[in-house]
Amino acid sequence: MTTEATSIEVDQYLPHRPAKVWRALTDRDRLAAWLMPSDFAPIVGHRFTFRTEPRAGFDGVVHCQVLDLEPERLMRWSWAGGTLDSVVTWTLRPEGRGTRLFLRHEGFDPEDPLQRRAQQIMGGGWRSHIMRALEADLAAS
Amino acid sequence: MPDVDVFTALANPARREVLRLLRDGGPHPVAELARRFDMSRPSLSEHLRLLKDAGLVTERRAGRQRLYSLRTEPLRELAGWLAPYERFWQDRLHDLANFLETDDDD
Repeated sequence: MTTEATSIEVDQYLPHRPAKVWRALTDRDRLAAWLMPSDFAPIVGHRFTFRTEPRAGFDGVVHCQVLDLEPERLMRWSWAGGTLDSVVTWTLRPEGRGTRLFLRHEGFDPEDPLQRRAQQIMGGGWRSHIMRALEADLAAS
Repeated sequence: MPDVDVFTALANPARREVLRLLRDGGPHPVAELARRFDMSRPSLSEHLRLLKDAGLVTERRAGRQRLYSLRTEPLRELAGWLAPYERFWQDRLHDLANFLETDDDD
């Protein structure tokens, strides 16, 4: 299966050096301040949970594991909650005086026939590049 | 309802390229689109007709030219399924940006 059609990519420029961004991603208290409370630890293999408000079809608990860690460069978590069994990857890239932070969330389940068809037809980067730009147009209009 | 479903319209790379050109460069006269493709004018016209039938482009006359514009509405449904997650992460990244402004870790 192509991961392109079942993933999200967002990025954000942050006017701070990668070391500071990295700490905001890997320090449990800092992480809680902008994402969710958790028992995270920056150790490969560490299992942790994020806890948020329960909603319909979701008990509010996200079960995660640290899959990969390259200080100030990359961190990958498994991310399972509700019906989701997915992977979240953070990538940091120095840009000017700051950092560009990329988030990739992949492994969405294209069970829905509409989604499966979209994936089949639009694999190979179509969704990630052109669809995203079109979605940005939609958001702006 | 459109005569052609949006998936059929998007399945072809040339048609996707037309959409990309219209997205990046705004409305194009058909002659200008034709210059961007190594295909006969009738073939391009056929692709444009299909895109129009799918509701992905609109055509209007401007003097002697026919201008094609992107129409994004049919993509809404397509864009929909991951949109809540995408919004979630966009919001979190905004929160992170705000948090870093107040974080005295320097």
